[in-house]
Amino acid sequence: MGHVRDLAEALIDAGHDVSVLAPVDDESHPIPAYVVPAGRTVPVRYNGSVARLVFGPISARRARRWLRDGQFDVLHLHSPEALSLSLITLLQASGPIVATFHAANPRSRVLAALSPALQPALEKIQGRIAVSPAARRTIVEHLHGDAVLIPNGVHVQAFADAQPFPGWPGEGGAIGFLGRIDEPRKGLDVLLEAFCPLASQRPGLRLLVAGPGDVEAVRQAVPPPIQDRLVLLGRVSEEDKARFYASVDLYVAPNTGGESFGIVLLEAMAAGTPVVASDLDAFRRVLDDGRAGELFAVQDSGALADTLGRLLDDPTARRALVANGTARVRAYDWSAVARSVLGVYDMVRLASDSEPSAEESALSRAAGNP
Amino acid sequence: MLTVVAVVTGIVVVATYLTWLAGRLDRLHSRTDGAHASLDAQLLRRAAAAIAIASYAAAAEVLTVPVARALTGAARAASTAATEERESAENDLSRALHTAVPRIEARDADLRELLADLATACSHVVLARRFYNDAVRDTCSIRKRRLVRALRLSGHAAAPTYFDIDDTPPAALSALDPAQPT
Repeated sequence: MGHVRDLAEALIDAGHDVSVLAPVDDESHPIPAYVVPAGRTVPVRYNGSVARLVFGPISARRARRWLRDGQFDVLHLHSPEALSLSLITLLQASGPIVATFHAANPRSRVLAALSPALQPALEKIQGRIAVSPAARRTIVEHLHGDAVLIPNGVHVQAFADAQPFPGWPGEGGAIGFLGRIDEPRKGLDVLLEAFCPLASQRPGLRLLVAGPGDVEAVRQAVPPPIQDRLVLLGRVSEEDKARFYASVDLYVAPNTGGESFGIVLLEAMAAGTPVVASDLDAFRRVLDDGRAGELFAVQDSGALADTLGRLLDDPTARRALVANGTARVRAYDWSAVARSVLGVYDMVRLASDSEPSAEESALSRAAGNP
Repeated sequence: MLTVVAVVTGIVVVATYLTWLAGRLDRLHSRTDGAHASLDAQLLRRAAAAIAIASYAAAAEVLTVPVARALTGAARAASTAATEERESAENDLSRALHTAVPRIEARDADLRELLADLATACSHVVLARRFYNDAVRDTCSIRKRRLVRALRLSGHAAAPTYFDIDDTPPAALSALDPAQPT
């Protein structure tokens, strides 16, 4: 999982020792030195998608050995509410335990049904972290607890250093969209509706679209005269994603709902690209109420077209958005996120050290924890 | 014979369950006590950071003497309050911080450092309080089970109580510690 890798690397950069127990499907592939393989995953169909889970005696034994050999000051689990490696590890662990909850699914029936059975294991966790307000709501509603909010981070420098694709953004200006192109909630339709009139007024203006989906269907959806002004990249690599942001004058997030955080906005801000986003709660929060990026009414393509036109004509306003965005995104850099997570680690270590029961501390020592 | 086996098996199962439940409750009480100690430490740290900034700011004439004195007074009262008055004393300190912090202009490096310390201390209070109240909630959910109450499985341990204060850090401090929890 990207989050775990990024956090582990940020903590290592800050001078800490990190070991990650993770499922590894292809052991011939090189894995980072800090990863300890925990066996293969088993695909399980759930809710229309395939979740890759780890369970079984082999994983349990590896988890036990990892805990014993590691002598960790803090154990940090990810999504322990899923029936997976984290839960297997949690069942065998003692000492300071932190868990991050990623799932944002306040109405999950599976979670509601499992919650009582998970309770004895989950109550061993001393510090709970939610990555988004929606993830926190999920915890409050299903797991009868609360969590502190520490959002995902962004590698600010990697985005800031990226070079645009040759010839971009070009004389006539360029607008960018990133996301699944055939997922209605990502809102490409809204953007295309705003783009068509703008493109007919502005001869050089282009739209750069990155993201998987049916490219031909999207091309057919715009009138023929402006089809060549639409450039569809399909799915892009991490590196090309950074170059994508650098290649456009304005980044548009026309999502119509379902976004819990808005990491794409942060990436655009890190790349120094001004952001125009629909006025969703999550986006409004990330954009500092519109100071770090322009907001437009959700699904209002007319308002979007007006905003885009105005910003394309006004480099000063764009520079102001970029300046505010650059300042804003610094707080979301992985180094800052790692500092917050370390604050949580310190807290649970302090709490465990002050636990008075002698029997308890004898048990912790036996389990290899300090 | 069969009845005896059934009864013995039943007793073993019930005894195992009760032992497990009591152990679980014991662990939860330990967790709550640890979380309480940590909350106490973070609250004291916040009070100390408030006193440090009040005395520096008053000497540097960044704060007026009455505001600085009120902040110091609230911080002292909070760190010495008896258990039953702790919540209201900590609330007074939060209010004093909300009054004083917006008036402090971070014009030199020392002041910026003191403000950063205070920002960390305030955000750690938020963390520690949330973790403590979580531990209380988990503990109480077991304690209030009928079986646990009937058999007094909680032993002599007093029921933990939630710690409810307004610990929202002043806006100026949130800006210094942006990834702080909300």
